[in-house]
Amino acid sequence: MASGEEQRFINLINEHQGLIHKICFMYEHDSDARNDLFQEIVLQLWRSFPSFRGEAKITTWMYRIALNTAISGFRKQTRLVKTEDLQEVHMNISDSWADDREEDFQKLQWAVRQLPEIERAMIMMALEEVPYDEIAETIGITQNNVRVRMNRIREKLRKLMCP
Amino acid sequence: MELEELQSIWKHNDPGFQLKDENEIALMLKGNSQSIVDKLKRSVWFELIFTFVAGLALLIYALTLPSGALKWTSVSILLLFVAYSFYYIKKLTLLRQYNPAGENIRVSLERLTNDLTSYLRFYKRSYTVLYPIYFVLGLMFGALERGPDKFINNLSQPRTIIYLLVVALVFFFCSTWVTNWYLKKLYGNHLEKLRTLLNDIHQ
Repeated sequence: MASGEEQRFINLINEHQGLIHKICFMYEHDSDARNDLFQEIVLQLWRSFPSFRGEAKITTWMYRIALNTAISGFRKQTRLVKTEDLQEVHMNISDSWADDREEDFQKLQWAVRQLPEIERAMIMMALEEVPYDEIAETIGITQNNVRVRMNRIREKLRKLMCP
Repeated sequence: MELEELQSIWKHNDPGFQLKDENEIALMLKGNSQSIVDKLKRSVWFELIFTFVAGLALLIYALTLPSGALKWTSVSILLLFVAYSFYYIKKLTLLRQYNPAGENIRVSLERLTNDLTSYLRFYKRSYTVLYPIYFVLGLMFGALERGPDKFINNLSQPRTIIYLLVVALVFFFCSTWVTNWYLKKLYGNHLEKLRTLLNDIHQ
C-alpha cells in the first residue's frame, strides 16, 4: 500500500508520463533500454521529490531531472545500435501509413534522433513549447545562446528531413 | 523550416507509447538505480568495506607477529589503509551532494566529469605509484631482516640487480597496463562521453 506521499508522486508521474516516454524514445533505440531509462528517470524524480517545493513549474523540474538522467547520469551496458536510415523510415511509413502528416512526424522524429544529445534536448523542449528562458536554465547556457543554437538546429533538421 | 511548423508536426501526432499503470510505477520506486553516481557510490562503499575488513584482518595478523620486517610491512600497509578510508569517506560525502534536481545539465556534467576524473586519477596513482613503492618497501624490509651486510652484498651482484630490475619493470608495466584497461572499461568511456557533451554545451 503506497503512502500518501508515494501516491501523490505516482499520480504526478501518471499525469506527466508522456514527457518521460518522449525523452526515453529520443535517447534510447530499443524497448528494453527505453524501459530501463524510464525506470531510472522515475527513480531520480522520486529521490528529488521531497525537495520539490513548487518554486519551478512541475514540467521544468521534470525536464531538468529527466534530461540530466538521460544525458549524463545513466550508465547502461554498451549496446550495438543500428543506425536507422531515412530511407528505412520512408519504407516503414509507406508500409503502414499513407498519411502525409504522419510521414512528416516520422521524419521529424528520425531527424531529431540524429542530432547530438545536447541539441536533441534543446529541440525536444522547443517542440514541446518550453520557453527559451526555461531551456536556457535547464541546459545552463544563456538565452541568446539558445536562440543562436536553435537556428543552427532548425537548419540541421531541414537538411536531414529534405536532403 | 520554422519552429512553429515543426511544433505543429510534433503536436498533432500520437507517438504511440505504451503508458505505464500505477502498479508498474510503484514497483519502479523499489528498484536499484543504474546512474553513474549510484554505481560510483556502490563501488566506493564496497572498497571502504573491503579496506576495513582487510585492515582488521591485517591488524590481527600483525599483532601476532614478532618485531621484524613482516610486522613493519604490515603496519605500513595498515597506515595506507587508514589513508584510503579517509579518502573513501570524503568521496562518499561528495557523491551524496550530487543533486540533478538542483543543477542544470552543464553544472551536472562539470561535476560528474570532475568527480570521475579525480576518482580515476586516484586509482591510477594508487596502482602505478603506490604499489611499486610497496614492492620496493617489502623488498627492503625483507632484505634488512637478513642483515644489512648480506643485503648490500647481494645487491652489489649484477645478477641480483638485473633480476630485481626485470621484476620491478614487469610489475610496473603490468600494473599500469591492467589498471588503465580496467579503469577505461569501468568509467573511461563514460568520462569521454561526458567530456564530449561538455564540449557540445560550450560550443
